[in-house]
Amino acid sequence: MEAPTRPASHPLDPLVSICRLELTDTAAVLHLSGDWRLDALTRLSGALAQCDLARIGPRALVVEGAALTSLDTAGALLFLRRVVQSGADPASLQLRGFDARHQRIVDVVRERLGGIGTRPPKPVRPLIASFGAHLVELGRLAVTHVGFLGLTLVALASLIRSPGSLRRRELLAQLGQTCVTAIPVVSLVMFLIGVVVAYLLGLQAAQYGANIFVVDGVALGMVREFSPLLVATVIAGRSGAAFTAQLGTMKLTEEIDAIRTLGLSPEQVLVVPRVIGLVIALPVLVFVGSVLGLAGAAVVCSLMLDITPTTFIDRLQDSLAARHYLIGLGKAPVFALLIAVIGCSMGMTVSRDTRAIGIHTTSTVVQSIVAVILLDAFFAVLFQELDW
Amino acid sequence: MSVPRVPADAPPVIEIDSVVTRFGSQVVHNGVSLTIRRGELVALIGGSGTGKSVLLREVIGLQRPNAGRVRLLGTDVWASDAPALTAMRRRFGMMFQDGALFSSLDVAANVATPLLEHADVPADLLGPLVDLRLSLAGLPAEVGAKMPSELSGGMRKRAAIARALALEPEVLFLDEPTSGLDPITARAFDRLLQFLCHDLGITVLIVTHDLDTLLSIAERIIVLGQGQVVADGTLDEVTSVDDAWIQSYFSVRATYAAGDPRARPASQRPDGGGHGA
Repeated sequence: MEAPTRPASHPLDPLVSICRLELTDTAAVLHLSGDWRLDALTRLSGALAQCDLARIGPRALVVEGAALTSLDTAGALLFLRRVVQSGADPASLQLRGFDARHQRIVDVVRERLGGIGTRPPKPVRPLIASFGAHLVELGRLAVTHVGFLGLTLVALASLIRSPGSLRRRELLAQLGQTCVTAIPVVSLVMFLIGVVVAYLLGLQAAQYGANIFVVDGVALGMVREFSPLLVATVIAGRSGAAFTAQLGTMKLTEEIDAIRTLGLSPEQVLVVPRVIGLVIALPVLVFVGSVLGLAGAAVVCSLMLDITPTTFIDRLQDSLAARHYLIGLGKAPVFALLIAVIGCSMGMTVSRDTRAIGIHTTSTVVQSIVAVILLDAFFAVLFQELDW
Repeated sequence: MSVPRVPADAPPVIEIDSVVTRFGSQVVHNGVSLTIRRGELVALIGGSGTGKSVLLREVIGLQRPNAGRVRLLGTDVWASDAPALTAMRRRFGMMFQDGALFSSLDVAANVATPLLEHADVPADLLGPLVDLRLSLAGLPAEVGAKMPSELSGGMRKRAAIARALALEPEVLFLDEPTSGLDPITARAFDRLLQFLCHDLGITVLIVTHDLDTLLSIAERIIVLGQGQVVADGTLDEVTSVDDAWIQSYFSVRATYAAGDPRARPASQRPDGGGHGA
């Protein structure tokens, strides 16, 4: 901020010409010259170190600045700070020969010297403590979600008393966003999964001439496990993240507060349509996913295993009991409730920080997927024990 | 201030030459030309949609004008190569309207970012230098440990100024520095800008709507309207220009002052000319 033009390079003058300390019996004079600016700070610091300011001792210090060509606040801070570190008192420091603008800059920095370097260093948390802190955080999160699930259920229950308070238009919009527009991606993913699973099973089965059992395996796996689990994962990334981002942004822009002030309940207006929408959408998507997965398997069967589509469908009707299919579909609304509650809860707890939206959105996806897989494992054991 | 503080032959810092800006069919600037010299404290005003902020963005290289030339610190902003632009960018600071602090870093790290990226600072001096920047912007050193989301609006703006000051800029641009602040904080902000300009010699360009800022600290006012510079000069020169927008803009304050003696502009109060942070 000093000289109108900055020299492209500093002349390689010896450090002595930048600063020089002159000592007499009672006085010390620090001569400064040249450019004392931010872009030369390391070099200036080295030059000051060579002057060995500790030699000043108890002498009165005068700083001579007539030969300075430029000075900025960083340069002033450097020599004032080094003088203080050498034990001299900055208040008793005398300035001599400074140009009026340089003098003002030194004064500005000098009067602020007291408040500088007073910030305590950041405490570093030891590994175990931060592990514990994360666990506590996780526990709090679980409690928040359970609380939010309760709130949602209360809002849903109040719908039974007054069904008219359901926001039909919002619900339709949510169904459009979470169900209709998700069909292409779900179809593609599940078709390809069907192809892959049938191919891998086919490779093994063909060795034993048991081609036809590929249909049994694919059918059971697809409708009972793969389709609910994978579609829920896709939807957690798609709709769960969207819920958090939407509600989080509304929280930041105080839209949610506005809804409350207008005497409406944000749970009723925002959360219930999303939860109901997703609980309807996910079974539909799981059905679509199962069909496309089986279609993918049928293609591989007909091309690789000599099983015609007609044989495929015949075998499907024989081998696939209705209960497998119902279990697959039945898991979907539970997963949907989980994803919707986590997504909405994370959105509603965004603090006033824009960064929090990103963090919460990422967290929603991770939490939803982990929760869906945990629940699916639980279901698998449960149905095994029940012999379904 | 009868004698101009900045000599008329001071070197130009910002030169805008017949800039034309269009958004679709809407013409925002239709040949805007102006020059700002080293050490000036200039306020850019104008009604909504007259392209004040757009002009600012064109000067600092964020938005390309459809025609015309912009020179900042001797560099042609829209006709220079990348190294020249990078060198130029280190020499000015910009404060965005809401601070635009990096939300993932604490305040001290925000201020340290330009220093770490563009300057070679001895390790033991980085902390003190950050504290000095905060102090120049009127913030105590403790604020450095806070996250941007923990700051009030005024503190966020000050932290943004501290970051803009990090590399000892020769020019400081501020977009609406006092918007959203209470009058007391806003006046303290005015004094801060005056201090930066007078004591540290920084050229300051403010885009503002705040009449009090204009009346108390602006030494030169540039008014944009109808795609042109409508008026350019001291407060007295600008208020005497026969333009409907200017007259109605300044008459708001005249009505005030006539009815209520306490509403006199700060520059006429005994303590009005002081500065500090």
